[in-house]
Amino acid sequence: MNHVASLLVATMSTSIDASLNQSLALLSPTLAMTWVTPVAGAILGASVLAPLIALWFLKLRRKRRVVSSTLLWSRSLADLRANAPFQRLRMSWLLLLQILAVCAIAFALAQPEAEGFGSSGGRHVILIDRSASMNAIEGDATTDASSDASTTSNATEDPTRSRLALAKVAAKARVDELLGGGWFSARASDVMVVTFGARAEIRAPFTDSVATLHSAIDAITPTDEATALAEALELSRAFTTNDRPDETATALREAPPTIELFSDGRLNDLDKLAMREGEDIVYHRVGSASRNLAVAAISAERPPDSQNQIQVFAAVVNPTMVPARATLHLAVDGTVRAMTPAPIEIPAGIELDGEFIAGRTQVVFRPIEQPNNASIEVAIIEDDALRVDDSAVVVVAPAKQLAVLHVGAGGFLVRTLLEGLPIARFASVTLGEYEALIESGTTNTWDVVVLDGVAPKALPSGRYFAIGVVPPIDGLTAFGNHSDVYPRLVRDEHPLFRQAGLDELFVSKSIAVQADRRFQTLADSAQGGLILTLDRSDLHLVLVAFDPLDSNWPFQRSFVNFFANAIDYLGRAGDAVTGRTLTPGDAIAARLPAGSRDGVLTLPDGATTSVTIAPDGSASWGPVLRAGLYRLGYLVAGRDARETLLIAVNITDPAESRIEPRAELDFGTSTVQGVDVAVSRRGALWPWVLALGLLLVLTEWWYYQRQIRLG
Amino acid sequence: MEVRPLRKLDELLDSKLMAKLDAIDVMSRKIFSGKLQGERRSKRRGQSVEFADFRPYSHGDDLRFVDWNIYGRLDRLFLKMFLEEEDLSLVIAIDTSASMRAGNPDAFDYARRVAMALAYVGLVNQHRVSLVGFSQGRIERATNIRGRRKASDVAQWLLKLEPSGVSGFEEAMRVIGTSRSGRGVMVMLSDFLFPEGFEKGLAMVAGRGFDMFALQILAPQVADPSREGGITGDVLLVDSETGLETEVTVTPELLRLYRDRLDRLCGALRGYCTRRDIVHMVVESSTPVETLMLEYLRRRGLLR
Repeated sequence: MNHVASLLVATMSTSIDASLNQSLALLSPTLAMTWVTPVAGAILGASVLAPLIALWFLKLRRKRRVVSSTLLWSRSLADLRANAPFQRLRMSWLLLLQILAVCAIAFALAQPEAEGFGSSGGRHVILIDRSASMNAIEGDATTDASSDASTTSNATEDPTRSRLALAKVAAKARVDELLGGGWFSARASDVMVVTFGARAEIRAPFTDSVATLHSAIDAITPTDEATALAEALELSRAFTTNDRPDETATALREAPPTIELFSDGRLNDLDKLAMREGEDIVYHRVGSASRNLAVAAISAERPPDSQNQIQVFAAVVNPTMVPARATLHLAVDGTVRAMTPAPIEIPAGIELDGEFIAGRTQVVFRPIEQPNNASIEVAIIEDDALRVDDSAVVVVAPAKQLAVLHVGAGGFLVRTLLEGLPIARFASVTLGEYEALIESGTTNTWDVVVLDGVAPKALPSGRYFAIGVVPPIDGLTAFGNHSDVYPRLVRDEHPLFRQAGLDELFVSKSIAVQADRRFQTLADSAQGGLILTLDRSDLHLVLVAFDPLDSNWPFQRSFVNFFANAIDYLGRAGDAVTGRTLTPGDAIAARLPAGSRDGVLTLPDGATTSVTIAPDGSASWGPVLRAGLYRLGYLVAGRDARETLLIAVNITDPAESRIEPRAELDFGTSTVQGVDVAVSRRGALWPWVLALGLLLVLTEWWYYQRQIRLG
Repeated sequence: MEVRPLRKLDELLDSKLMAKLDAIDVMSRKIFSGKLQGERRSKRRGQSVEFADFRPYSHGDDLRFVDWNIYGRLDRLFLKMFLEEEDLSLVIAIDTSASMRAGNPDAFDYARRVAMALAYVGLVNQHRVSLVGFSQGRIERATNIRGRRKASDVAQWLLKLEPSGVSGFEEAMRVIGTSRSGRGVMVMLSDFLFPEGFEKGLAMVAGRGFDMFALQILAPQVADPSREGGITGDVLLVDSETGLETEVTVTPELLRLYRDRLDRLCGALRGYCTRRDIVHMVVESSTPVETLMLEYLRRRGLLR
């Protein structure tokens, strides 16, 4: 059968009329079909059908029957013709069979190829998308995009129904098909398997071993990475031209491989991709679900007036074209602590200048009491197709208990004020004692050093609040005094001036200060800057260029507030309330105390893996593939207790949250139509149609003979 | 299907049916005067057992019919009058055109069986039976047959009839209408499928004193071609009388139109007959002769 089919193929024309092909494709919208020789089929169909009908009238050899009288028959025929002028072209099984046979043969001559009939031969690269959106669960409960987010279903928990699982099944079926020979081809195939998320990996080089390919596909695990096809394409292209260095000429002459892409089409770099000449991409579209909401951003901060509390902010996005509602909860270390009182409304996404902008709603939770460090998770309660982006985690550091050193024994006003602030540790020393501390190198035990009218000769790195004195810092120069100064706020939104306005402040004497551009002037006067800040990586400074006793400030409420703000601002300068958030694909890099050991990383799914910690305390692991909370446990040198470092990994790529599969992939130069994985097996259809045509001819012959015999 | 020709009297009329037919008689809706004294009541007063009236005696009357009881009471002579019984003329006309040779059972054979049965009833009841076979240019007759013993002659005559040619109905009816001898009952056995129509032919005999019965005999396959042995598929129909050929592809629609046509033909014939006091009856050749004779024709008043 294969041999006969090959001979038939050889005798048939191989020219392709693209326009006719396109119009013929409209005839089969549900069955993706192409035509190798549509012209031949069309010409045959058009030229044979009309003569066939004419010949049918001539061909009919009627059985003679002597009847008593044809009187009634002839009159009935006259009636029939009067009622139906075209009755001569009446229903006849013979004619119908002949027309069907001719149509089938003409159809076969056009060499249609259809999805679902299998083909083999050539080289194929199977690209399997394993990005975050491929974790979407396919099922009835999640495909209804119009419903609000109040429905729940167990379908979303079934990992065998994820897009990646479906893609793997489809890919294995495709491998079977490619390496199974096929009905009408004896050609063997070489298949390569590549999987990709943010980066691509070759899982199996070109081979014709079904077992190897199956195990390679089975070994592909899901990730929460973004999707980038470019690297996978480059990888497969490189492989197809260089896999046989000793047969370079042959390899180059060989036709480019067919790239079989199993994906939902949500490719972040699609606009940067272009297909090369002769390159053939078959886009096996996976999935159909579209309903999804995502927590796109999360942040947390401690309110300035309440360091033991945490306030959490989150953003929920709706990457669909339908408005949605969602209920969010806030969990601290896995325990739910707050919930939105009513479902929040998330507007539908909109298309703006061809760009899709997802609907977005900001959510602010009430501050919760949490003095210690914690992992804070904001999650959408309702199920949707993609669960992994329904929550985001952030790790907050413990509330800082400040240690403040007052330098300048004579400044009773400032000292008294500092003593009244909620400070964990406070000391007041003279300038001499402070310089001794500098020499001993123990100043770093203090979070903030208040220089009250005195300054050391040199400042080590640290955080300083200088009052009525200009410390020795590069770029800062004192050049005299000003008198009778009316300060003016330049940056009234600065945290230092929270509830601390300077409207009624009058300074009788201030230091004339000149600062370079690294300094920020928060309040100045006609004579120059009065309150300045410096934020360097090693040095943080708040400078008040006058003695408060030379002003009316101590009598104003803003005086105390300003000092409290300054201590708080400096005490937490450079310290983030929340730890850095990673995204899937990043590597974990942590700096632990020197000498730490026995690093063990616990993944979000509970699996553990050991992490090597360098002698200087640095540890790294990655890349992280799944979103969630990672816990890096380690043993600190000299202590028995294990410490744990929490690392949050969130999906922040809104493209991954938009899970509705693309119908087609636009590569700029060409567009590839997606084919549902359920029917995405393309193969020659014409041999079947030809066989049907021949069968119809046989049936017609049998029927004709039977009629003659009965007649 | 091959039709075996009828050869014997038994095949025309079996003895069982013959015995049943002995008990019935031909009934005319009209009272005709006959030629010979017969077993049929006549308009004329005469000799029979059936009393009709009295009349005063006049000179020369037969004294045997004087009612002496009345003479005893009234002292006057009265003569008893009786109904005269005369014979009846029964004319059976058989269409011997080629169109009658059709179907299974064959319409012509059926017509001969019916003719034989009717003739037998007539012969048994001492009527004058005349048989006429007609087709275009060919009229065969057997006239004035009387008496039961002539039944075999009638059978022989019928067995010799062969259908051929076109019907020539009008001409045949003209001949019968003009050459009739005596009034009576005429039974016409034909399919009435005449290309030239039946109206003119029937007009030749209607209103000329006959009590007429038109039995339209159709083969089942003619009545409904979709029956077994009927016309199906693509066929070239050849008219048995004229030899005209007609290409036909039998479809349900065509069959429906055929039946419509036949209904219209039968309806037209029935209407024509009703207007001229002719009894019309459609009989399929599959109807048993016994049923026809003992039930249908008795119900329609031809036999009693």
